Amino acid sequence: MFRLAVKSVRHNPKRLLLTAFAVALGVSLVAATQIFTNSLSSGFSDLFDDIYAGTDVIVEADPDAQSETEQNDDPFAISDGIFTADDVTAVGNVEGVSIAAGGIQVMGAVLGPDYAEDAVGSDPLTAGGTGPSQIFNWYGEPAVDQSTVVDGRGVEADGEIVLDIDAVENLGYAIGDEVAIATDSGVETFELVGTVRFGENNNLQGATLAYISDAEAHRLADDPNYASISVIADEGANLDRVVTRIGDVLPEGTRAITGEDKAAEQTEALDDVLQYVDIFAIAFGLIALFVGAYIIVNTFRIIVTQRTREFGLMRAIGVTGKQIRSMILLEALVIAIAASTLGIIMGYLLALAFAGLVTMMSGDIFGTLTLPLDAVLWSYALGTAVTLIAAFMPAIHASRIAPMEALRESATSGKKPLKVRNIVGAAMFLVGAGLVTVGLYSDFDRPYIWVGAGAVTLVIGATLLSAQILSPLAGLMRPALTRMFRVDGKLAANNIQREPRRSSNTAAALMIGVMLLALVATFTESLKTVVTAEFATTKADFFVSGAQGAVPAGAIDIVESLDGVEAISSIGFDNAQYDGVTYSVAMLEPETAGLMFEYQSEPAVEDLGTGEVYIAPTIADLGVNVGDEITLTGSEGDVTLEVTGELGRSADGDFWVDFATGEDLMGEVQVVQTMVLLDDSIVADDADNADNATTISEQQTILEEALAEDFPLIFVAQPGQLEQLANMFIDLLLGVISALLGSALVIALLGVANTLLLSVTERTREIGLLRAVGLKRSAVWRMITVESMVMAVFGTILGMVLGVALGSALVLSLADFGFDGVTIPWIWLIVYTVLAAIAGVLAAIWPAWRASRLDILQAIAADG
Amino acid sequence: MTTTEVPELAATMRSGYKDYGQGEAAVRALDGINVDIARSEFTAIMGPSGSGKSTLLHTLAGLDKLSAGESTIADTTITSLSEAQITEVRRKYIGFVFQSFNLIPSLNAKENITLPLDISGTKVDPAWFDEIISILGLGDRLTHLPAELSGGQQQRVAVARALVSRPEIIFADEPSGNLDSKSGSELLSFMRRAVKDFGQTIVMVTHDPTAASYADRILFLEDGKIVDEMREPTADRVLDRMKQMGH
Repeated sequence: MFRLAVKSVRHNPKRLLLTAFAVALGVSLVAATQIFTNSLSSGFSDLFDDIYAGTDVIVEADPDAQSETEQNDDPFAISDGIFTADDVTAVGNVEGVSIAAGGIQVMGAVLGPDYAEDAVGSDPLTAGGTGPSQIFNWYGEPAVDQSTVVDGRGVEADGEIVLDIDAVENLGYAIGDEVAIATDSGVETFELVGTVRFGENNNLQGATLAYISDAEAHRLADDPNYASISVIADEGANLDRVVTRIGDVLPEGTRAITGEDKAAEQTEALDDVLQYVDIFAIAFGLIALFVGAYIIVNTFRIIVTQRTREFGLMRAIGVTGKQIRSMILLEALVIAIAASTLGIIMGYLLALAFAGLVTMMSGDIFGTLTLPLDAVLWSYALGTAVTLIAAFMPAIHASRIAPMEALRESATSGKKPLKVRNIVGAAMFLVGAGLVTVGLYSDFDRPYIWVGAGAVTLVIGATLLSAQILSPLAGLMRPALTRMFRVDGKLAANNIQREPRRSSNTAAALMIGVMLLALVATFTESLKTVVTAEFATTKADFFVSGAQGAVPAGAIDIVESLDGVEAISSIGFDNAQYDGVTYSVAMLEPETAGLMFEYQSEPAVEDLGTGEVYIAPTIADLGVNVGDEITLTGSEGDVTLEVTGELGRSADGDFWVDFATGEDLMGEVQVVQTMVLLDDSIVADDADNADNATTISEQQTILEEALAEDFPLIFVAQPGQLEQLANMFIDLLLGVISALLGSALVIALLGVANTLLLSVTERTREIGLLRAVGLKRSAVWRMITVESMVMAVFGTILGMVLGVALGSALVLSLADFGFDGVTIPWIWLIVYTVLAAIAGVLAAIWPAWRASRLDILQAIAADG
Repeated sequence: MTTTEVPELAATMRSGYKDYGQGEAAVRALDGINVDIARSEFTAIMGPSGSGKSTLLHTLAGLDKLSAGESTIADTTITSLSEAQITEVRRKYIGFVFQSFNLIPSLNAKENITLPLDISGTKVDPAWFDEIISILGLGDRLTHLPAELSGGQQQRVAVARALVSRPEIIFADEPSGNLDSKSGSELLSFMRRAVKDFGQTIVMVTHDPTAASYADRILFLEDGKIVDEMREPTADRVLDRMKQMGH
């Protein structure tokens, strides 16, 4: 039986070629993602190995002892100093310890030589665009520093600095130069005394590494303590015992761990993060496979129809229906294995290309690209499962072919009514719509499961129903197509109408991709409208924020002291726990906040006092009312506050407190943004400027220049510029998702080509006859192209209708987050339709070429 | 309708050779054919299987190319034309009736009949159309799809399609081959009438002596050569001749 299936595949490889390719494309995306994240993980794993390579034992804050709000998955987060110099000495005195070195990291950024000029007029994307900086205290022992001096010497005195070899080259410094570092307290300069190589290969994943003296590090970090202690054990000491002994002298809430374990722990933490990347990308792979499934169903359905006589004959000579079913499923299995293998190879190449691209743009952050066993297994499992499930219905269909069918003259199936299909389709459509609504509007734990399941059901329902729409639609278009393209247009319409199931399944494959595109476009366009509305209501003239982190107090002082500034208002965000759940807390300055924005709150934001809190609808929904006392838990501990007001929406944070309350909760407030209101002495750029007053843009330059010297990483933006930036990010989001959906769209187009190709084979005699009675090759080509375009545009329009509808439902369900209406992305919809028509022409190329090249005599004589 | 006094030639072939395959496997299907098809005549081509009769029809009609030699349709030499030009010639001067699968399944009878005119964008002559329809007895079948017609009706629609553009010549390949004897003789009578009444030129390939007896002239083909010719045939004479050829 298996041999028969293989022979059948080999006998007619062309008709299965596109099918296999469609499966392979979907699989390749899954494989590429896994290979990619795997290599990213191994790249970072190497980095962690380097970081902890020479260190025998690390002493650090115990993550288990930290409060939940403080805990952070980010393996690069800077931790507070917890070890005093005495603690370091105590660890150094433990038996078996050779060296104990306190480590401290400084929050700051290494700047380029021309930072001050670069900072003025720069946009936030390029400001401080030197990659993240890691600044540590220099110890002078390679095993501790993890770095070895390449040129010059190590740090020996205050005011000196060493940089890693790549950073020196990238930033353009030479030994002896003054190197500027931006810190919270302003810019400081250090003399470059040497260059170092980190680990074996200076594999820093794109970061800049710098070392300064111990004293300077403490001063800049504004912290007398060390965050960690690196321990080098005596030669031959038993590390486990050393760890235990160190543990005895450590303060509460800290721990000792071997370097090896620490590296493994970090890699694991990173893998957890990468897992989300995996899930995100695999979701798109699954979408592609789902679309691929449509093509498989169609292909097998057509093949079964074409082989009706063959199956009938088999049945006549005694093959059971079950055997025929197994044979088809075996054929599907053969294709699935071949296609998955191809998909894995394609996925590897894809990952290779993408890794190359990323490396080119942002430095070498990858380990060697390997083919993880997981990726191989997943690829085969998914590819095979999708193919077999999709082939199942056609296989059942084939098993029901009666022996009598062998004797029938025509191989084309008779017209079966669409009634059952319509009923099932309508039911699924309604159930799907219901599930999506439930998911969007009710408070279930995992709404996305409801929405996802609903969307899939909805799509299948829409596919089933689309046959009913497509058939009369093709009938309606017939006169128009006939007028435009004469008889070949008419024939194209007829062909679509003849096999409504096949045509609509083909169109539906395209529908899925377009639906998702239209959904995202609806969402992003609505988001843009919100952004525009938001910036339209602001009265602030400038927004001041940091390119890498918070706005330091010193920078705020500079802004406030400037001429022409009427008022400033700063905002900070952080998380706090209420009732065991983490919520966002906005910290603002009530007395000036109202000057910048018309916040929707009752009472006004000016009335928010210390010890009081305003709550968003998300919190009010929990049953909290004005007048209640609630307890929030921040990093500084519990604070009980009186609820004195309610917010109109949840987009601006769940809780509002003033700065003083924020400090009680979180300690020092990290200012995310400072808004600036200018006084009347500054005029708008386009105002009638008779008395030569300073314009807003001039004021912006003045402000930027004032900040450039000490705070080059702080940028100033007008609302319009910020709006532009926000819109740019939104467009980028749309672009990324479109690119990820690209494979689903390509597969759908392959599906159109595949269906046409198979139907050209099926209509060989018909086309031969048309050619015999005088239809030119070009007209045959046009006939297939029109057919293709109609299917493509139909699928696209269906997809857009569904996508806009689902997108609107999504936007409306987010009304709490500031969406006040749906913006339909008309421009995108038109673009998609035009692209669909073009895609239709492209998809028709191969089938049309085959059809127009058919040898007339052979076509007429073909076994039909 | 009166036939022309001196029959002109609707189609000719001079020294027509056709080889299939190469080297040892080469088969000569046509071996130096010289033939003239007179206008307004019903010519039948007969011969045993493999005699090359279908090949002769296909090369005369421009569906297939001769390996050597020359053929004309309506004084146009088609052997030197490009594929596109031959398509043009077929559309203008030639009608076809095949043994089976003559009709486009998705078009109804009327659309199938007017297909050649629709392809070239020519207007249908309603009087001519009605005349053909009434002669072929298809008046009440025009809106039916091919699947809804009997075999005989399908072949009549095919004949109507061949006639509607008043082609220079109609080529028919076993048109009655799939029909029962009653439908077959009806169809052949119509074709005969088209020749007699409208001066239509028809070339038909058949292996059925009865079918061939409807023709004005029969060409006998054997091993790619024309071996005999018969005028005013009857079924019995044709049968006798065929027996001589060993069939």
